[in-house]
Amino acid sequence: MAQSKLSQLHDWLDERTGIKQITHELLDEPIRGGARWAYVFGSLLLLLFGIQVATGIFLNMYYVPSADHAHASVAYIQKAVPGGWLVRGLHHYSASAMVVVAVLHLAQTFLYGAYKNRRELLWVAGVVMLLLILGFSFTGYLLPWDQAAYFGTKVGTSIAGEIPVVGPVQQKIMLGGNDLTTVTLSRFFTVHVFLLPLALAGLVGLHLFLFRKATPAGPYHNRDEKKVDRFFPKQVFKDSVAMLACFIVLVALAKYIPAELGPQADPTSDYLARPPWYFMPLFQLLKYFPGAWAIIPAAVLPAALFGVLFLLPFIDRRPERNPFKRPIATGLLVLVLGGAIGLIFLAKHEDNANPEFSAKLKEQEEEVKAFFSAPFQPQIIGGAAAVVPSATKVAGPVPDPPQAYADHCAICHGDKGEGDPPLLGVASKPQRTKEDLLKIMENSRGYGLKKPMPESFPKISPEDKQLIADWMALLK
Amino acid sequence: MVTPSETENSEPIERRSFLGVVSGLIGAGISAVLGVTIGRFAIAPAFSSSGEQPWTDLGPLEEIAEGKLVKKNVVVTQDAGWGKFQTQRSVWIVRKGENVTIFSGVCPHLGCAVNIKADKFICACHGSEWDEGGKTLAGPSPRGLDSLEHKVEENKLKVRYQDFKQGISSKEVLS
Repeated sequence: MAQSKLSQLHDWLDERTGIKQITHELLDEPIRGGARWAYVFGSLLLLLFGIQVATGIFLNMYYVPSADHAHASVAYIQKAVPGGWLVRGLHHYSASAMVVVAVLHLAQTFLYGAYKNRRELLWVAGVVMLLLILGFSFTGYLLPWDQAAYFGTKVGTSIAGEIPVVGPVQQKIMLGGNDLTTVTLSRFFTVHVFLLPLALAGLVGLHLFLFRKATPAGPYHNRDEKKVDRFFPKQVFKDSVAMLACFIVLVALAKYIPAELGPQADPTSDYLARPPWYFMPLFQLLKYFPGAWAIIPAAVLPAALFGVLFLLPFIDRRPERNPFKRPIATGLLVLVLGGAIGLIFLAKHEDNANPEFSAKLKEQEEEVKAFFSAPFQPQIIGGAAAVVPSATKVAGPVPDPPQAYADHCAICHGDKGEGDPPLLGVASKPQRTKEDLLKIMENSRGYGLKKPMPESFPKISPEDKQLIADWMALLK
Repeated sequence: MVTPSETENSEPIERRSFLGVVSGLIGAGISAVLGVTIGRFAIAPAFSSSGEQPWTDLGPLEEIAEGKLVKKNVVVTQDAGWGKFQTQRSVWIVRKGENVTIFSGVCPHLGCAVNIKADKFICACHGSEWDEGGKTLAGPSPRGLDSLEHKVEENKLKVRYQDFKQGISSKEVLS
């Protein structure tokens, strides 16, 4: 009875949605040669992308893409919000996992020769997605605005600026100006959470469509020619087990090696920048090419690598798929992957072998640990002159300011304190003494002013400062 | 060439459904862990309390005009996620000699700003009116104006700002 009610509901739904046809299309796809563990990487990438979308959307509930607040908001997520460490940890480690699994997926397709036989567009879409994943990594790395993020991105954008002809303009577009500022953060944020996800989601759809159109390539040999499995249940089961294993690893990493967050970016520090592991090969190569030769690792090699990847199905048109009978292709894969891994270890080794670097890196690690284990400190916003109360507008005419004010301060603060930022009302803040007014001139950052006075603040004599403070005290 | 259906026939039906059920359980498990983690993360602010406001200085008592409805801004500290925000809120002071009443400038109805018209408090949004003692004279306000805790220390008037639940007849502090 229950069964028939259920199948009645199924029929009812099917008449309105065509669900039976959809399920059939999704699950009954034939897999030549049978289900295999080697085929799990695509499904794994879908899981990882899903995790990134879900955790990414919700991280935005607390994250602020502004140089002033980004670090505090990430520290809040990591240290204070219940489950924040796990949401951010999953986002952090899934990002790395996406790079790893995308490379494995590509390597498997490459070894099996599965880009052959009218699968050129499927392959090209995949290579574009690998580039997008690297774009996600690069833009996401800046968002926490800690030391590693700031200096890593500083170096990364400088490398982009090294490229002849287009480099300088390209760098300026990336930074949104000449320096790494809050504008850069906004741009990276926009690319990371709007442009790249849209592009990747679209390409995932295209990739899956092309995959179903081309049908799975199957094994490279003919031994299992007669065996055919449906996608469901055998391949689905293998995919699910791989997903579970991957998910457990991600949660364990987030728990036992929490996603790092160092102290807030300090452009004046002598921070020794090191890229995340997946950009390490490039970093190591840069050491071998001094001066203008940097163009080779910075642009020529990556361009050549991706150029070969894009053109591969058009160059290699032999029908042979067995990796053991394609020594050049297999050799190239081993060389590139082995070379990349070798360069990562070489970079680590050189840092360890250099006493100066290893000491500095260790010191930085200690700083990260100290910041990370300290309890969350909320950022103090406002205070002091951040809000000029409407009830305390200046009564009566403002007396003329001293000459030093007119010479040094009026350019921003206005002839009589009415400029931007305004000084009107600064004296009427609660518990504000004349001494405070003097100290604000020395250390505006310490008073939490939203726009600290420029470092190039001209040297004004103590007597003149006193005169200015006396005058400011009248600005009630 | 063997067709898929022939291979399937040789496959025991229990195995097919067993693998399907395990796959479904794994999918449900991952979704549940993700869902619970993210859900808790998203609704967490509903279960945290904001700290008590400190006393705020309103200046010398005798500087507050007597018998008038006086508006003053007080600095309040809001614990909002990653920051402590020093922002301002308005309060209304009614002073008769030593006798002082301070009202929150937030309408108890739906949170509009309370203002004055002649010697009455009004809320222009929905037309509520109160007398200088905070008693409701007209309009939809479910209760009188919310008075705030205050004290006089070293001749200075001090107030403790608070937010109250809107739209109900009793005065309940939000924490």
